[in-house]
Amino acid sequence: MESNCSSLLSAVCEVLPNPKLLLPDDTSLEKLLDWFKDLINHNDGQYIKHYQPCLLEFLHTMTKSEAVDSTVFSFTLKLTGLLASKEDSFNWLQERGVLLHMFDPDSWHEIELWKNASVRGGWLQGLWNMLQYQQAVGFFCKTGLIKLLLSLQNDESFFLSSLTNQILVHVLNLVTLPVLSSSIESDAQTRPPVSTDCRSVTAEVMSHVTRSLSSEEQAAVASGLRLLAVTVEQCRDPVKGQLWEHALEPLEVLVNLHDDSLNLSVMAVLQAAAKSPFFTNPEYKVETLIDAMLYSKNTNESLQCAALILQVDSCPDHLKKKATDVVVRPLLCVTASSTIVQDGCDSLLANQLSQKASCVPLLTQSLSSIADFVFKNSLDDVPIRSITSSVIQLLKMCIGHQPSTFLRTAASHVIGCCKIQKYSLDVLQSLADSKESVDFLQEALTVLLLYLQCPDTHATVFKKTYQAVLKWLGVSSSSPTVLETISHDLYPLLKKLVCDGRWEVRDSTLEFIMQLTAAFKGNPEYNEAFRNSGMISVLLISLSDGESYVQASAVSALGEALTDTPLCASFQEEAVTHLLSILSKDAESFPRRAVMKVFTSWLKSPLSFTGLDNHLSSVLSLGSSDFDWEVKVQTLEIVDMLMDNSLSCSRSSQGRESMKQPLHRLMGLGLFDLLLKCLFDCDRPVSQKACALLIKLRSVLRETDSSEHSDDLTLDISSCSWGEEVLQRFHRKQQPEEWSSVKNGAPDSLKKIHLCEILELLELEDMQCILSLSSDHVINSPRSVMEDILSAAQQSELNVVDCY
Amino acid sequence: MKLYCLSGHPTLPCNVLKFKSTTIMLDCGLDTSSALYFLPLPLVHSPRLSKLPGWVSKDGTVNLEKELKECAGRVFVDTQPEFCLPERELLDLSTVDVILISNYHCMMALPYITEHTGFSGTVYATEPTFQIGRLLMEELVTFMERVPKAQSATCWKNKEIQRMLPGPLKDAVDVWSWKRCYNMQEVNSALSKVQLVGYSQKVELFGAVQVTPLSSGYSLGSSNWIIQSHYEKVSYVSGSSLLTTHPQPMDQSSLKNSDVLILTGLTQIPTANPDGMLGEFCSNLAMTIRAGGNVLVPCYSSGVIYDLLECLYQFMDSANLGTTPFYFISPVANSSLEFSQIFAEWLCQNKQSKVYLPEPPFPHAELIQTNKLKHYPSIHGEFSSEFRQPCVVFTGHPSLRFGDVVHFMELWGKSSLNTIIFTEPDFSYLDALAPYQPLAMKCVYCPIDTRLNFHQVSKFLKEVQPLHVVCPEQYTQPPPSQSHRADLMLELQPPPMAYRRCSVLGLPFRRRYERIHLLPELAKSLVPSEIKPGVSVATVSAVLQSKDNKHVLQPVPKPVPVPPSKKRKRLMEEVPDLLSPKPLLSGAVPLEAFLASLHKA
Repeated sequence: MESNCSSLLSAVCEVLPNPKLLLPDDTSLEKLLDWFKDLINHNDGQYIKHYQPCLLEFLHTMTKSEAVDSTVFSFTLKLTGLLASKEDSFNWLQERGVLLHMFDPDSWHEIELWKNASVRGGWLQGLWNMLQYQQAVGFFCKTGLIKLLLSLQNDESFFLSSLTNQILVHVLNLVTLPVLSSSIESDAQTRPPVSTDCRSVTAEVMSHVTRSLSSEEQAAVASGLRLLAVTVEQCRDPVKGQLWEHALEPLEVLVNLHDDSLNLSVMAVLQAAAKSPFFTNPEYKVETLIDAMLYSKNTNESLQCAALILQVDSCPDHLKKKATDVVVRPLLCVTASSTIVQDGCDSLLANQLSQKASCVPLLTQSLSSIADFVFKNSLDDVPIRSITSSVIQLLKMCIGHQPSTFLRTAASHVIGCCKIQKYSLDVLQSLADSKESVDFLQEALTVLLLYLQCPDTHATVFKKTYQAVLKWLGVSSSSPTVLETISHDLYPLLKKLVCDGRWEVRDSTLEFIMQLTAAFKGNPEYNEAFRNSGMISVLLISLSDGESYVQASAVSALGEALTDTPLCASFQEEAVTHLLSILSKDAESFPRRAVMKVFTSWLKSPLSFTGLDNHLSSVLSLGSSDFDWEVKVQTLEIVDMLMDNSLSCSRSSQGRESMKQPLHRLMGLGLFDLLLKCLFDCDRPVSQKACALLIKLRSVLRETDSSEHSDDLTLDISSCSWGEEVLQRFHRKQQPEEWSSVKNGAPDSLKKIHLCEILELLELEDMQCILSLSSDHVINSPRSVMEDILSAAQQSELNVVDCY
Repeated sequence: MKLYCLSGHPTLPCNVLKFKSTTIMLDCGLDTSSALYFLPLPLVHSPRLSKLPGWVSKDGTVNLEKELKECAGRVFVDTQPEFCLPERELLDLSTVDVILISNYHCMMALPYITEHTGFSGTVYATEPTFQIGRLLMEELVTFMERVPKAQSATCWKNKEIQRMLPGPLKDAVDVWSWKRCYNMQEVNSALSKVQLVGYSQKVELFGAVQVTPLSSGYSLGSSNWIIQSHYEKVSYVSGSSLLTTHPQPMDQSSLKNSDVLILTGLTQIPTANPDGMLGEFCSNLAMTIRAGGNVLVPCYSSGVIYDLLECLYQFMDSANLGTTPFYFISPVANSSLEFSQIFAEWLCQNKQSKVYLPEPPFPHAELIQTNKLKHYPSIHGEFSSEFRQPCVVFTGHPSLRFGDVVHFMELWGKSSLNTIIFTEPDFSYLDALAPYQPLAMKCVYCPIDTRLNFHQVSKFLKEVQPLHVVCPEQYTQPPPSQSHRADLMLELQPPPMAYRRCSVLGLPFRRRYERIHLLPELAKSLVPSEIKPGVSVATVSAVLQSKDNKHVLQPVPKPVPVPPSKKRKRLMEEVPDLLSPKPLLSGAVPLEAFLASLHKA
């Protein structure tokens, strides 16, 4: 195979320089590169050696060919870098001038190529690939490539400029690398020292940053800020500090400028700085800068800044406190009553809150930051109490239930605003985890129930409300008042909502019922209340909902409800019949998947489901002949469980003798036939699972006495879909005269084979190995990629002929 | 220009506009909420309602046993329900030249205005408005005449006595203007004065003003009106909707640039979004049916019911309601369902296009075909034999005081499985239910009012930019029950002019110009001279002829040349010759010089 590949590769290397080549698919060259990268990285580059001469020759040719396709040229650049990352090839390439030719666009035959973004990208990638060790860095520094690299830092393509930033960080880290590895040390003696060149590179980068930050052009400033943020975050210390000192002056100017469009970039720099040890050094003025941003004229800006500060772990407490104030202020202000007009609510904030255009974004920003830090529990002295009562009040305002006497106009902006409702519900949900939540339990539940009652509540808000309800019910799940709320207020509402006209609402309601049941699992009072509420019949009716998503959720909810609640047999029977009819009639697969999952969980449950046990064989046959692979895999899950239950049980407890009976039972359920059918299924996950189960079965059978393998375990292969396959393997493997187990002697009438024999016949391990490969392993193999390229090359030749 | 406000009800307006030389009545809505003070009229003998104790004051001094009955802890008037009429004393109704009707709900007081007041003008309405309005009037009359109640009750209306009455009766206002329902003859006579118009049709009134109906999007044939002269434009907006329901969408652009916009008929339930309510209606209905109960929907026989049926048609399958029968009971049920299907040109584009397929525009046709929806004129007769439970019944009247609904209240009120769902926003549901208490039946209030809400109206006004807005005073402050909802009122610059019942508003603009036509011959004789670029002046001498509110300048008639005659002079020839008039001087008199000259003289 390897020799094949190398002949293919040399053929490919021959056709690639042809500028008229039409590549079959633009990822094929990337796939080749991936392959080379693998070869280089594995086994210390031993594998690539085999292909190296051919590739180096190819590169050499490319330096000479005058007309090239930009895609191929970009590939060549990347490949050059990749090969140059190994020292021997590096030397080869440098000696032949390939490196210099490739990385110096001025020496290209077509300088126009540089205008192509993919070529510039290739150049950057190639450079990055190459810069892995000092010698390469030395080459980089000496040839002055840094100028070109810095010019790409402000490239019009965002991807390229961000890639450039990464490479610059990489370069800075490399040139300031304290000499560590011994190999480099030994090399160092043979090479002239690179330190002066390296210093000039660092200086070059620093002056570029300063220049960009004080530029008149906003794009340049923004890209400079991005570079600064990345370097502060990722560079090592001496160079990082130097860079910051250089950038500090123009940065201060930018911070005080409060330019909206640069805000986020400035904040990113400050955030990176705040996470670094700079923060504690007063010379670096990080705190001063953050402070300036925090109290800017633009409330939105200070909010963003505050949110970022709160994300920094090492932030000093006084700054965190200030930031918390800024974050919480809009919320407290909008819900404040006139009696407590807060000093925090200055006229600027009040003014912004009373304009619709700024009110909603301000509040959402404030709320999302609050949700964040409440969730992380990042502060001890957060005013959780006032936040909780404010959020509850805001939620009431949103549905017009609560007057706000202080900012009336702001109140009219939030009424009916879905966005604010959703964010507030998020905050309320995360507040359920706080210590103080018990005191607010009743109030929170009341407002949440108001949302469930309100006919104007948007479907997405419903979902959030349910999540919050679940969280808050969990605050004190055993308290009788909570159970009272559930059975008196919540159940009647849920019954109505499963009849809602919007399927999204019905769906979330049923999902909620399922989660509620799961959350209260093992709570006898809840189970009692649930049984008496009539919810089960509601769920049974919902099984025939017209919308398949809803139907699936109803199935899951019913499944969850019955897993834990012992019910009378007739109810069980009804539920099973219902689910079986869904399994056989449904056409949209979500409900069928849900049904199989429910059956699985029922079989796992300690409660006995006699209703289900009676229908097991029809469940298996319906499930295994389904069109949907997930249903089939789920069926195999059931098979797995059945096998585990009957085989392991009998093996451990009653000794070998009793294996006969459980095997018979499984045979009776049609389980072996099912497994073999699934083994040859067209869907890979199905056959993979079946294969694993058959291996398991085989090991069980091998362990048991062969005397137990009675004739009852023979399978009639003539009537099975998998029969043909098995028969072929049989023929391939065995000589005709050795057909010992054949009943009727003649090869044509070979009909029945013993299970054990079938299992030994199938090379299950091999099959499993093949099945474990991803389904595209054939078409993505280097062989296939190269064949594609070659056939495309032939095609394009043919096309040329066709033209005449 | 003046506006006389004869009704204080914001959605059942009755205003009179005096504009140029015309007197135009805008709508004549009938406030039927007064019926809530009366006992229900049972269609089938009700032992409960027939044995109610009469009302005697605590000290026994006032005995109104015959007139007032105590029922469920409240006092009701025991006679045929009476309705609150528009004010008839504020101006002489015989001087009204025309009545413009904007939708069928706003014409129910028509017989009271056109009959017995000396009215001799014309009523303008679109065809669906006219036809469905007739149905609603017929229904109302049938409801009343089917259950005749001889005695009338007037003693309680006496101011001294009313003050001593309990509960809401004591606070009822304008009780002397309450009148019993009209009869069919009056309805026919009133409707004979209606002249049909189409959208955007221009109707000349005495040459002085032009009135035009525009689609308002609220109901079949509902319209807003433009009343304009050459230099003034008044828009009358009443009961409009921007939602996509069955009627043609609202025409907003033609309302632009009005001097005055009279705004009435906004939604009565500004806090309830119709979509949410429709969802609420469906889910409550489904929940009741699934639990084996019946659903009663008290409603008008035209309007929202079409949308309800359409919504249910779509909802039925997903909610497994396939086999539940729907009954629509009204004396005019059949006509209402049929009429809705034939007014295709008045429907929204979507429904209009169905007619060309051809398919019925409303899906209730299919419901009827498949026997899912059945309609009956009354509970008597065929209905009683085909009635099957659980079911959904749509029937009137939404006040629960008369009509077939009274029977269902008596029938189903005692079971908690049943549900009554209120969809019409005109009546307080608690007051409507008062005489049926205690009630085991579930009550759900899903008022569906598709008329403009405050948010929509402020957007709409920004769009059409009238100079002045006139509206009922209710719209200038938040509703009393929700005084914190600053978003539920009109906030405009300049602030709107508010009116209440019996207000007379002087509308804030003066007429400055009148259009005068020059006859071509006269125009030909003019010699304009340019006094500055673009402005030319010419003196004109002419005779002004004014006829039918049209003004024409004619050339001065030349003296008839005397025909040469040898005969002796006749008397007519002695008419003094008309001298050709001298051109009049024009321009400003230099005042000071003129005074000085006078002094000298």
